[in-house]
Amino acid sequence: MKRGLKSGWLVVMSLALIAAGNKPQEAAAVKPVEAAPAGGAVISGKVALAGTAPAPAKLQMAADPVCMQQHSAAVTAQDVVANNGMLQWVLVYVKEGLTGSFPVPAESVVVNQTGCMYQPHVFGIQVGQKLEIVNNDSTLHNINCQAKTNKKFNIAQPVKGMKTTKSFDQPELGVPFKCNVHPWMSAHAGVFSHPFFAVTGADGTFSIKGLPAGTYTIEAWQEKLGTQSQKVTVADGESKELNFSFSGK
Amino acid sequence: MRRALLLIVAFVLTANLAWAAEPAADLEAGKQAYLDNCARCHGPTGAGDGRDSKRMFPRPRKLSEGVFKFRTTASGTPPTDEDLYETISNGLPGSRMPDFQRLPEEIRWQLVQYVKSLSTAFKDQKPEPLKFGTDPGPGKANLGKGKQLYTQLGCNACHGAQGLGNGPSAATLVDQWNNPIRPADLTQGWNYRSGSSPKDILVRLMTGIDGTPMPSYAEAVKPEEGWDLAYYVHSIQAEPRWNSTVEAVKESLGWEKAPRTDLRLSGNFYKDGELLPVTVRAISVQALYNGTEILFRLSWHDPNESKEAPADAVAVALLQDPKMRWRAGSLRVLPTEMNSIPAPDVTQWSAKEGSASGTYQDGEWVALLKRPAPAGKSAGLGVMVWDGGNAEQGRHRANSNWVELILK
Repeated sequence: MKRGLKSGWLVVMSLALIAAGNKPQEAAAVKPVEAAPAGGAVISGKVALAGTAPAPAKLQMAADPVCMQQHSAAVTAQDVVANNGMLQWVLVYVKEGLTGSFPVPAESVVVNQTGCMYQPHVFGIQVGQKLEIVNNDSTLHNINCQAKTNKKFNIAQPVKGMKTTKSFDQPELGVPFKCNVHPWMSAHAGVFSHPFFAVTGADGTFSIKGLPAGTYTIEAWQEKLGTQSQKVTVADGESKELNFSFSGK
Repeated sequence: MRRALLLIVAFVLTANLAWAAEPAADLEAGKQAYLDNCARCHGPTGAGDGRDSKRMFPRPRKLSEGVFKFRTTASGTPPTDEDLYETISNGLPGSRMPDFQRLPEEIRWQLVQYVKSLSTAFKDQKPEPLKFGTDPGPGKANLGKGKQLYTQLGCNACHGAQGLGNGPSAATLVDQWNNPIRPADLTQGWNYRSGSSPKDILVRLMTGIDGTPMPSYAEAVKPEEGWDLAYYVHSIQAEPRWNSTVEAVKESLGWEKAPRTDLRLSGNFYKDGELLPVTVRAISVQALYNGTEILFRLSWHDPNESKEAPADAVAVALLQDPKMRWRAGSLRVLPTEMNSIPAPDVTQWSAKEGSASGTYQDGEWVALLKRPAPAGKSAGLGVMVWDGGNAEQGRHRANSNWVELILK
């Protein structure tokens, strides 16, 4: 019965192929792009944490000596990282106000797994842009990406130097990456249909460049503290400062 | 002649198409079959909330979420129709999902279509079937290579060096919904959810098990190597010796001559209407006796040693009259609600006391438990196991069925 079924499907499939004239389907092809609106406006600023920063949790890496050996000092969680009242790892992006579509950058976004930590911990990526995930550790990592809108995946990288390339086909905020072997490992991505996003550095600063003139809603996303947004109008070539402040929980 | 050939070809083609055609989807028929056969556990809308759903572990899948563990397709893509058909037809050993061989094939195909209609997963993504290479066949795979790969690919991180499910990362694993989850004990092939053959193992390795920590190795290993690993994992499965009798032999014969009986264990303890899961699913029993005493050798797999309260423990319950086991009721009601007369006589060994001998090594307990021998030539025997690491104590434990103890 089963064999009959399988060969039957083959027949059906080959018939379908013949019917389709054997044209390979263009899978997830990049759409032709309208001329991207040129622009030279810059929105930059700082993201602060009001109140006292919670003490970050110390990560327990004892389960895997390969991880422990790579750190001389204690490693702490990156879910809320504040230095002198400034928040690192906040994703800032244009939420509303853009029109048209934007070309997909040719270069990949690279996420490294080094010392059993993701680097970077938070990143932005464009729809269709390549995401390269690299294992720099001599131990097994699994990259468990529980996206909600995009396709989920959970793949193994057992060998040092392994690279996997993925991409996302829908905008989505807070796409989580986890490693089940090392449960402290955590990263988040924001997937956008445009290139106007930035992640705050250790000093809490960000800078979104090359914006066309317009009125935008700019949003800041922090994995634990939620989102905040502000409206801003920029003329072409203008630089504006925009600051955010999250209150600790 | 040519015409005859053509006729044959035409016949074969149409016959094949007729076989191939999964019956045209009839969602009404599928729905009725679903409500009759599946809703009790998976819930009327596939939300995993059927009226019996809390009374089992693992819990029934939330079909409306569209995450399927057992597929032949890439990680994150939905199963093929045939994958779903296989799961419905064969059930999932070690869970409460039975096989539905009793349903006509046509109805099973209608169930496949209906299950697909319960989530958006099949509209959002297309199945991406993986390639599995060629089965080298028994005796042809390179088991040495497979064993090497077991470590190289990091299987031991969760499944443990010996495959007992006690790797260094085992204790912290959670599923997609943040519930604790255990890696499979690879030595217990009978408890693999979706089959224990080398092919089944290879498919799980390549596709991963969606919703669980088990990742897809499709990008990490070639199918040819995967087969070596699959045959190696298959080779560490221990053949269980299920039996409903335990034969005790004379002490002078020693453990080598004492036959081993394996007993299945299950949890039957409910808290707020929910079945609490238990860790230990089987125990091996041997017994020696002399004129006055009987000595049990009990061994079972437990991923971690717990000596502090709640400590790992095991107990045997004896009924002097073996026939009483038919009246004794389930072991789960011990010790207070026993309505059998006389009440069973329970002897317990606990890792906490360490009085009787017990050794823990590489994910396995071996405990020796001594007690007075039963008066007659046979008795009713029941076994209970507690995993302290799973906070099991009191009636939250793994129970065997009653079996017959025979003094040879």
